[in-house]
Amino acid sequence: MPGAAERGSELSEQIEAFVARLRGGGERPRSEDTARQTLSLLRKIIAHGRWSRAGELMDLIRMEGQRMTAAQPSETTVGNMVRRVLKVIREEYGRLHGRSEESDQQESLHKLLTSGGLSEDFSTPYPPLRANVIEAINELLIELEGTTDNIAMQALEHIHSNEVIMTIGYSRTVEAFLKEAARKRKFQVIVAECAPFCQGHEMAVRLSKENIETTVMSDAAIFAVMSRVNKVIIGTKTILANGALIAVSGTHTLALAAKHHSTPLIVCAPMFKLSPQFPNEEDSFHKFVSPQEVLPFTEGEILAKINVHCPVFDYVPPELITLFISNIGGNAPSYIYRLMSELYHPDDYEL
Amino acid sequence: MGAGSGRRAARGSAGPGLTAPRCLADLIETFRAQLRDDPDVASAVVAIRVLLGFLKQDRGETIQGLRSSLLAAIDTLSRVDSSVAVSSGGELFLRFISLTSLEYSDYSKCKEIMIERGEIFLRKVSLSRNKIAKLCHPFIRDGAQILTHAYSRVVLRVLEAAVESKKRFSVYVTESQPDQAGQKMAKALRKLNIPVTVILDAAVGYIMEKVDLVLVGAEGVVESGGIINKIGTNQIAVCAKAQNKPFYVVAESFKFVRLFPLNQQDVPDKFKYKADTLKTSQNLTEEHPWIDYTSPSLITLLFTDLGVLTPSAVSDELIKLYL
Repeated sequence: MPGAAERGSELSEQIEAFVARLRGGGERPRSEDTARQTLSLLRKIIAHGRWSRAGELMDLIRMEGQRMTAAQPSETTVGNMVRRVLKVIREEYGRLHGRSEESDQQESLHKLLTSGGLSEDFSTPYPPLRANVIEAINELLIELEGTTDNIAMQALEHIHSNEVIMTIGYSRTVEAFLKEAARKRKFQVIVAECAPFCQGHEMAVRLSKENIETTVMSDAAIFAVMSRVNKVIIGTKTILANGALIAVSGTHTLALAAKHHSTPLIVCAPMFKLSPQFPNEEDSFHKFVSPQEVLPFTEGEILAKINVHCPVFDYVPPELITLFISNIGGNAPSYIYRLMSELYHPDDYEL
Repeated sequence: MGAGSGRRAARGSAGPGLTAPRCLADLIETFRAQLRDDPDVASAVVAIRVLLGFLKQDRGETIQGLRSSLLAAIDTLSRVDSSVAVSSGGELFLRFISLTSLEYSDYSKCKEIMIERGEIFLRKVSLSRNKIAKLCHPFIRDGAQILTHAYSRVVLRVLEAAVESKKRFSVYVTESQPDQAGQKMAKALRKLNIPVTVILDAAVGYIMEKVDLVLVGAEGVVESGGIINKIGTNQIAVCAKAQNKPFYVVAESFKFVRLFPLNQQDVPDKFKYKADTLKTSQNLTEEHPWIDYTSPSLITLLFTDLGVLTPSAVSDELIKLYL
C-alpha cells in the first residue's frame, strides 16, 4: 500500500530528525519538551508501525529506544519515557490477557515461593491492544502537561514568610515553584550564578520581574552565605535509582555547604526525570562541552600547555538531600526505590 | 535416667510417631553428606533441599502434622549447624508450606503442588548467584582496588564475572581469624589470576585509604537492611564510612531473615556461636562470637537476585513475603 509505505518512511524521517537533534546538542532543551517529543514519536511508532503481537511491539520500541538513548546518553528523559511506554504495554497486555492486577510482575521473595513456572510470554495477539496503548500514552501526555503546575501547587507548604531561599542556576520548575509561593508570601531569594554559563543571571531576572527580592552571587560565595539561608531549593537533570542526583555543575558544593549548616535541601523535579540507573562507571552521565567558556581560545599559547575541562553535570549523593518534591507529592530519598517499582518494570531497566 | 537420656528423649519425642528418631538422624546424615559433596552450594539451599526430601517421604495426613514434623526437622538441623543461613532457609520453607496450604485445602493435592513448587524454587535459587554477578560487576571499575572479608562464594562469583568482562583490578582480603577463611579466599582468587594481598584483620584501618570499594557477602540480611556476617565486618563498615568508601553487600534473597537487632547484643546467641560450643560451653560470655551485625546506615547498596536494593528496600521485600 503506497499510503503505509509513505507513512513508514515519514516516520523513520521523523525518528532520524529527533535522533540528530538529540546528538547535535546546541541549545539546551527543556526536559519536558524532550519527554513530550519522545512520547509523541513513540505513539506514532505504535500507531503506524507493523506489529501484531505485544512481544513484537515491545521489541520494536526497545530497538528505537536504544537508538535514541545512544544518541545522547545524558538525556535520560528519553530512556525514561521509553521504559514508561514498555510498562504501559505490559499492563495493557496483562489486562486484556485477564491476569489480575494483584499478581505482581515484580521479582519478590513471595513470587519466588509461590509461582508455578514460566514467565510471561507476550505472544497472544489482541486487536484492541493498539487502541488501548495509544489511549494510555495520551494519558501520559496529559500527565506530562500538568507536572510543573502540580509541583508549584505544593509551594505554599514549604515556603514561609521572611525566609531566605537559596538556589543555583536556572531551573524552570523551581522558577514556577517560587513564583507560586510569591503570590501569597514575602521572601528573599539568593541565586548562585552557576559559572561558566551563568544561567543564574537569567533566573534572577525572571524572579525579580515577579517582585521577589533576588540577590545574585558567585559560586565561590555559597559557603560564606549559607549560614543566613533557611532552605535550599534546586532543580535537577536526573534522579538516579539510589536517590542521588545528576544536576548542574556546582550543585554538589551547594549540597555539602547545606549539610554542614544543617539547612534542608529540597529538590523539585517531576517524575519523568526518575531514571532506574545506578551511578557506576559503565553509564556515562558525564557530558563535557567546549572549554571556551572556562578559558577562551583567544588566550593563545598557554592552551598548548594545559588541559581545560568544562563538565556540565555534577553527582550529588542521596545523604545530602532532604526531600524530593515531584508531581506526585513529597518523598524522602530512601523512598525512591518504591516510586521506581511503580513506574518501571525491572526487566526494562536495561533497554 | 539423667541428663544424657533426657537429651535423647527430647530429640526423640519431638518427632511424629515411631519412625521419628531414625528419620531425623537420617536428616542429619543427609545434610552433612550434601554439604561435603557440594561445597559450592549455600548451606541454606542444602537445608531447603534436605527439608524438601523430608517432605516427600513424610507419611502424615494433615497440615498440622506436617508442620510439627518440619519444625522438629528444622530444630535438628540447627543443632548441627546453628548459622543464620540454615535458620532463614528453614523459616522460608515453613512460610512456603503455609502459603501453599492456604491455597489448596485437599492435603494430597496440596502436597503435590508443594513438591512441584519446591523443585522450581530450588532451580531458580541455583541461578541466583549468576544474577547477582551480572548486576554487581558493572560497579567494579577498571583499575579498582577492592577490599573483601573472609570467604564468600557470592563475592567470588562476582569477581569471576568481572574478570570475564575483561576488567583489571586487585583485591585485598582480610585474613579473618579465627579460622583464617581469608587465606581460602585468596587461594581461590589466585586461581582466577587476580592479584591478591592478604592483610591482617587489624590492618583494615590502615589499608582503607588505598581501597576504592568494599565488597562483602552476608550470612543473613535482617529486616532493617543491615547484615549479619563473619566477625570483623562491622569494623570494616565503620572504617569505610569514615573514609567515604562505598560498602557493597552481595546476598541471595533466601538469606533475608526476620530479625530486627538494634545492637550487637540483640543478635541471638544461637547464631553467634557454633552449635557444638552452645552445647558444651559453661559460660557463653567467655566464648568468641563468630558473627557480628552491621547496621544499614553503613551499607551503600545490597545486590540481590531481586535486584539492586537500598537498605530501606529490604524491609519492603520481607513485608511482601511475610504479611
